[in-house]
Amino acid sequence: MSGRRSRSKQSSVSSITDDQITDLVSKLQHLIPELRRRRFDKVSTSKVLQETCNYIRSLHREVEDLSDRLSQLLASTDSDSDQAAIIRSLLMQ
Amino acid sequence: MKRWTTKREHQIYSSKLFQALCRSRRTSSSTSAKELHQTADRVLAITAKGTTRWSRAILAAPLTAGTNMKKHKKAKVTVHTRLRKPVVNREKRKLPVVERKLRALRRLVPGCRKLSCNNLLEETSDYIAALEMQVRALTAITEFLSRGLL
Repeated sequence: MSGRRSRSKQSSVSSITDDQITDLVSKLQHLIPELRRRRFDKVSTSKVLQETCNYIRSLHREVEDLSDRLSQLLASTDSDSDQAAIIRSLLMQ
Repeated sequence: MKRWTTKREHQIYSSKLFQALCRSRRTSSSTSAKELHQTADRVLAITAKGTTRWSRAILAAPLTAGTNMKKHKKAKVTVHTRLRKPVVNREKRKLPVVERKLRALRRLVPGCRKLSCNNLLEETSDYIAALEMQVRALTAITEFLSRGLL
């Protein structure tokens, strides 16, 4: 755990207390698949934040890839006729 | 946050998204990946029903047409390197690692650049759950669409 930095002036609105960061970090740890497995290990604050950023970026990339593929698929199909069928399937998944 | 994980929510989002994509196809001849991504984000934000900052930020953002437009253009000030004093890498000058990463996180979640720590947690967890659902939905649409071709 990071050592507490004692400050003579306590937190103003803009600065963040160590407690808040620790709190944020411990909760974030549960969200990230990478770190969920290591729940009982001590993962450093910067590691959790790093993994969170990495995870969000990888999700963004995944959506980009999927968008790419899907846009190509849509361009090459005339889905107007199948539209109803597809929507029905989507509502039943 | 639970809402992003329910089957019902997933069904609603994927079908809404598909309808939105079909609509946009009727107006413009082809949908670029960028536009598709944007549509996916907007429908996702609408599904959030205005309850989160990230969703409101997505809906407030102007629609970009195809090309990669960055919202904030940083003006790069070129300084003659020879005249410039060497930048000393002092601890005080550089933000501590944790704060740097916190800032990076804030940049990744839409609309959260100046958010406090507690709210950032809520926004981040909601955003991540929503993104995960987005991935599942896009995968499902792709699957059904490609199945339809067979």
